[in-house]
Amino acid sequence: MKKMFVLLGSMVLLASLVAGSCFAVASDSPDIKAIKEHGVLRVGVKVDVPKFGYRDPKTDKIDGFEVDIAKAIAQKILGKKSKIDLQAVNAKTRGPLLDNGEVDLVIATFTITDERKKSYNFSDPYFTDGVGLLVKKAAKIKSLKDLNGKKIGVAQSSTSQKAVQDEADKLGIKVDFLSYATYPEIKAALDSGRVDCFSVDASILNGYLDKSTMILPDRFSPQNYGVASKKGNDGLAQIVNETINQMKSSGQIDKFIKKWKLK
Amino acid sequence: MVSPFAWFKWVALLKDWHVFAEGFLMTAIVSASALGLALLLGIFFGMLGASHWKIPWVLTRCYVEFIQNTPLVIQVFFLYNGLPYLGVTLPVIAVGIIGVGVYHGAYIAEVIRSGIQAVPKGQREAALSQGFTYWEALRYIILPQAKKVVFPPLTNQVVYLIRNTSVLAMIAGGDLMYRADSWAGNNLYYGPSYVVTGLLYLILCLPLSQFARHLERKAEVSA
Repeated sequence: MKKMFVLLGSMVLLASLVAGSCFAVASDSPDIKAIKEHGVLRVGVKVDVPKFGYRDPKTDKIDGFEVDIAKAIAQKILGKKSKIDLQAVNAKTRGPLLDNGEVDLVIATFTITDERKKSYNFSDPYFTDGVGLLVKKAAKIKSLKDLNGKKIGVAQSSTSQKAVQDEADKLGIKVDFLSYATYPEIKAALDSGRVDCFSVDASILNGYLDKSTMILPDRFSPQNYGVASKKGNDGLAQIVNETINQMKSSGQIDKFIKKWKLK
Repeated sequence: MVSPFAWFKWVALLKDWHVFAEGFLMTAIVSASALGLALLLGIFFGMLGASHWKIPWVLTRCYVEFIQNTPLVIQVFFLYNGLPYLGVTLPVIAVGIIGVGVYHGAYIAEVIRSGIQAVPKGQREAALSQGFTYWEALRYIILPQAKKVVFPPLTNQVVYLIRNTSVLAMIAGGDLMYRADSWAGNNLYYGPSYVVTGLLYLILCLPLSQFARHLERKAEVSA
């Protein structure tokens, strides 16, 4: 009798297991389930890049192009675009925060590179930007060529150094790079004359333009921004990618770009 | 998921070992020079702080209190980004040596002052009564006795000093921490980068702190 019971029990268990895994394919992968249980989508965004992800000091609200994308993804997964929990990240913290599970997604002017793809899942690009150069008006610099022998401030964890270096090699000029942890530090170094040029993605530079500085017309090596997630959360990566592509084909992304006057 | 410590990240680090070697060298150079400056300042102001002359004593208190009660990060940031507005643009290595040296000079001054004051008052009075001048009494009677009290905390200061040179990372100083940050920043292989950097700092600091413990034990035995 007891044996029968065990046998029966294990059969039921097996059946439910098979059924369960079948359902899982049809509905949610474990990573999506975890987000649904959690009730909010946790997204790492920039808070110091106007138009992309920026915390308005007056209202204390974070808003921007990338925040709108985060909301659209939350709408897709959780059915409500308000169900997002935004966290401030910078170029240095966004990798570790993904790895330790503090955030589900990073949408933070994160350039897709082959090297980075080894560590994280990236969606297809939702925006393409070029590396730009911000200089002091008084320095009379007209293009990259004039920066021969000068110092260029870049952000740690950014791809602009390689982009500018490649371009400088083509022109046969020599430039030095100093890298800083945050954008305000680079701006401070430009103001104090520690560096002659502030070089990051052009869209980010816009936020640091003032009366004494100007952005040169040069743009280097297109940078593709993608939504990053942790490797292993492949169900999430898939949904994100679908959402991005739907938004691209439906014209939603272009609407956002227009709304934030990005081009 | 791909672990932050995945094997291919270690391989990438080994390939770029020179990045870390250059940083290590820079940290060692800045540490050694800053230590020299800190010792000079510390001994000088430590002796003044233990003296009974009013004006030097006030000067010493100003120096020590100002430095000890403001963050090193702010001091270095001012040297780096503030001084250029006054027309003084120090090379970054000098900012490191002066910033860290002056900062730890204040702490070492306190160590030396308390060491001198730990020597019983009678010792100095006896020396003065025998015709020693203030400086002679310090040199021959007080400092040799203060040495035992001073050495262990002094060596600890050296260890703190080495670790604090990592503020240079903030101002693109080319030190070990900066190299680690930049390298990890470009490829996001931060796992191996910070483990190796931590170990390199350990290699610099551990022998010194062991030496401090050795001195401490010696002082206990002879006391």
